[in-house]
Amino acid sequence: MKPKLVTSFALVGSLVVVCGPLSAHHGNIAYDEEHLITIMGTVTEMAWSNPHCQIYFDVKDDKGKVVNWAVESQSPGILKRNGWTKSSIKPGDQIAITLAPAKNGSPVGFSGGNKGKIVFPDGRVLRMNER
Amino acid sequence: MRNRLVSFMVALAAVLAFAPAALAQAGQQQATAKASAAPAPKRDLSGVWQYQGSGGAESLVPEKDMPPMTPWAKARFDQERPGYGSRAIPGGNDPILQCDPIGFPRVMFMPTPIEFVQAPGRVLQFFEREHEWRPIWTDGRSLPEDADPAWFGHAIGHWEGDYTLVVESAGFNDKTWLSPAGYPHTEDMRVTERYQRADHDTILYNISVVDPKAYTKPIVGPQKTFKLRPHAEIEEFPCVLSEENSFTQRIREPAAAKPTK
Repeated sequence: MKPKLVTSFALVGSLVVVCGPLSAHHGNIAYDEEHLITIMGTVTEMAWSNPHCQIYFDVKDDKGKVVNWAVESQSPGILKRNGWTKSSIKPGDQIAITLAPAKNGSPVGFSGGNKGKIVFPDGRVLRMNER
Repeated sequence: MRNRLVSFMVALAAVLAFAPAALAQAGQQQATAKASAAPAPKRDLSGVWQYQGSGGAESLVPEKDMPPMTPWAKARFDQERPGYGSRAIPGGNDPILQCDPIGFPRVMFMPTPIEFVQAPGRVLQFFEREHEWRPIWTDGRSLPEDADPAWFGHAIGHWEGDYTLVVESAGFNDKTWLSPAGYPHTEDMRVTERYQRADHDTILYNISVVDPKAYTKPIVGPQKTFKLRPHAEIEEFPCVLSEENSFTQRIREPAAAKPTK
């Protein structure tokens, strides 16, 4: 347990940062690509598979309830060209993901656009914009 | 009260700590686009090429520039429920969701790269998308008469000068969509492409589609660009139904479900 850092992550677990608007790169109607948000949480699973790798992570809402978010990123090939490996993100990692949330309010999002990214507490950044 | 304020301040500090990364994002996708000083090789398109698009799935022509459809095409179009374009709905019935081949020409406008390999009598295109490939025969043969309908059609090519490969394709099945927006085509579709190597790192690409049973006029796409990616390699990207179904179940369906509140 790294108290200070983890505490600050927990405190902002439900905090949403609006980064938009931006153009709809992916064009998938299910997501609100005009209003990106950044959410912090703890990784539970990284699914390295086609058609798009998926990142699952636990986020605490403002009542302390944990919600597991599912995030669509990019194909393994695209992630590889962005410098990722299958172990770039591991269960237990604390991350902040910038994503386009599902319009229906489900805890699902798309981070594979040109502005999607993952930021670690040490400042390391993973992007998905190099196709 | 004081505690809440402290919480807020800590939260704000954490957010600000993450903010600088958000500011340095622009323009990275086309970092490979600087022209090389090397001259373009003659009659040679070998290499890994990247369609210069938005980064998502695209169409050969914007929807607003699609020509009028025949009644057959309109009826088919009305049945399709695409995930992209002006009629986009979450979910939908895009054939690629069940691993039907994406087909040609739709495969050309994906964000994944294409490797061109030249062998005697043919140019081979290897698409990362679906781990598919397409031969373009340059040995002087004609397009097959009464061709078997194929997902990627049958293609022949010839060089105009040293830098332009002209490709004619026919013999398609009618199961693929022309674009992610759900436009159909018939088995009579014929496609003409021009790959003009404008410089070492650039292909200017023109494509037109003639399919009189589906469209009252030819579909003429605006000129598009491919850039050479000397350091990129084609990665594995087969469509695997179990993976596709898992993705649909875990991502597509929850993202597309009707709001519960």
